[in-house]
Amino acid sequence: MLASVSTVWSALPAYAQSTAWIVVITVALIISVALLTLWERKVIGWIQLRRGPNRVRIFGLLPGVGQPFADVVKLLLKEVIIPVRANKVLFVLAPALALIPAFATWAVIPLSPELVVANIDAGLLYVLSLTSVGVYGIILAGWAANSKYAFLGAMRSAAQIVAYEIAMGFALVGVLMVSGSLNLGTIVRTQHGGPLSWNWFWLLPLTVVYFISGLAETNRAPFDVAEGESEIVAGFHVEYSGIAFALFFLAEYANMILISALTSVFFFGGWLSPLDGYLPEGGAAADFLMAPSFFWLGLKIFVFLFLFLWLRATFPRYRYDQIMRLGWKVLIPITLIWIAVEMVMSYNHVGPWAT
Amino acid sequence: MLANYLPVLIFLVIAAVLAGVLLGLGSGLGRYLSRAPNDAAKRTPYECGFDAFEDTRMKFDVRYYLVAILFIVFDLEIAFLFPWAVALSKIGLFGLVAMGIFLAILVVGFIYEWKKGALEWD
Amino acid sequence: MLVEVLFYVFATILIAAALAVIISKNPVHAALFLVLSFVTSAAIWLLIEAEFLAIVLVLVYVGAVMVLFLFVVMMLDIKVEEHRRGFTRYAWLGWITAVAVIVEIVGVVTARRFGVDITRGAAPWPASYSNTQALGSVLYTHYAYPFELAAVVLLVAIVAAIALTTRTRRGLKRQDINRQVNVQSTDRVRLVKSMDAKSP
Repeated sequence: MLASVSTVWSALPAYAQSTAWIVVITVALIISVALLTLWERKVIGWIQLRRGPNRVRIFGLLPGVGQPFADVVKLLLKEVIIPVRANKVLFVLAPALALIPAFATWAVIPLSPELVVANIDAGLLYVLSLTSVGVYGIILAGWAANSKYAFLGAMRSAAQIVAYEIAMGFALVGVLMVSGSLNLGTIVRTQHGGPLSWNWFWLLPLTVVYFISGLAETNRAPFDVAEGESEIVAGFHVEYSGIAFALFFLAEYANMILISALTSVFFFGGWLSPLDGYLPEGGAAADFLMAPSFFWLGLKIFVFLFLFLWLRATFPRYRYDQIMRLGWKVLIPITLIWIAVEMVMSYNHVGPWAT
Repeated sequence: MLANYLPVLIFLVIAAVLAGVLLGLGSGLGRYLSRAPNDAAKRTPYECGFDAFEDTRMKFDVRYYLVAILFIVFDLEIAFLFPWAVALSKIGLFGLVAMGIFLAILVVGFIYEWKKGALEWD
Repeated sequence: MLVEVLFYVFATILIAAALAVIISKNPVHAALFLVLSFVTSAAIWLLIEAEFLAIVLVLVYVGAVMVLFLFVVMMLDIKVEEHRRGFTRYAWLGWITAVAVIVEIVGVVTARRFGVDITRGAAPWPASYSNTQALGSVLYTHYAYPFELAAVVLLVAIVAAIALTTRTRRGLKRQDINRQVNVQSTDRVRLVKSMDAKSP
């Protein structure tokens, strides 16, 4: 049975194989988002000494796990209200424009040493350009709804995303200087050799800058002024209901997972094992733990997602002028200085440039 | 090389189809189950219970334009940095110095911006 | 084969989108059609394996320039009727531009007649070829001078944008985080001896 499946699989043409993988990744991503919303509410509940969702069960077991699936059904059944005087076409187009980049970026993420859907040379550039396209969903949502709160939220959000994208781009230039390639698989491979040879060690300031920019790019707390409930109700998606709202939600959470994956790939060795060379040889468990695999990437993604939630439960929301100050006056100068430091290091063959 | 880009195209198409199917399904079901699809109060934009005062699309603080312009400049700068960082090992000291001058000129612009208060929000 | 099909698909979308840019009455729609035409031209560039330029086109034009356009178009409060009133005044300028562009296109298409072979297709590169690296290895050495000039142009852009848009308003209260952090208790609290306090 298994053998026949694998022969059929290898007989498939390349595009059919990648289409199959794309479908698998898309479905896995949607399920991860569903579970992530539950995990978020649980974690924040625990931090605030509450229980979090614990009523909806699956098959009478696992209290709370049914919650996200019940939410999906609810959102699907609710009416999508299009406000009067809204621009109908753009109003419907906006959530789709938010969702597409959040999913399509996964094409270039190396999931394991063998598996990457599109092994393109300019992978990092592709990631950055799709991230910058994601802002359209927000701007259009705010404009099309013809609501003041939505418009204010969209403008705030656009200016914020744009400011942090620069810091993000500069941080990635630092990564490129080490790896010398835009291909994400190569970026991971150049970091091989245990946790201390991963990029975070020599690029610690850039790692921090990248993760903070990622928080701001995804409009997550403490940078969620775009939807600051206390001031502008829900920001750019006030007028959205039902599945149209759910698509924004899906895009935001898919982007969180994406930023976690990218942080692991760029700075924490992606699918490389942190135990590589630290365990005694022999034995199936030790071999598995020392080998690079999707297990390690998944674990790293999970850790960074937890950090996202932890930060949300811990920090109060930044004020808008403070956000802009942090982006322009703190993060960008740090990245510029560190690029200069890397220039000196590479000239003197220090650290990752030692041959 | 082009063959590597085919999955990217497929992924974009599948993501678009996913969004389209979800939107179609959700708004169809919602419309079908709705009790008052054309209720006027429901369909007015939210404004804390008031009637909407005026058209929403209004003039905005000029600083948002400034941020967008500065973003273009810095984005171009990043676009120049990418090939440089990739080719770092091949271009030697000359390339390093060339980029040093490039960055120095732009840091002058950045400092100007800072001193002029273009980065202040109030 | 697939490449040709894709080329014609993208080319059709590109032309349709470009037409829609000038036909749409709503400026926001026009701007979005311009975005679409940038994306499809990036796809066409990708088909001739100009990988770096194609993705940078999306990054810079779609991700940055068009965001500014949308900001401007969305917020300038252009009333459509007002917009159309002075339209024909500059029609002659439009005609001149159109004729010039057509002449140029004809010139490019018939260039082979002048002995310049520019219609030759690009040879496909192996999968491991790095477009970006090839660009980087000449841009910063062979073309270092134009590259530095680009920096100067960008500097001028920064200065011009700031000179045009900044204005200082008086009486604003700003937060100075350094001062806040460095404040000492003696700056804020003054201990006063009470008049009738009698120490025990």
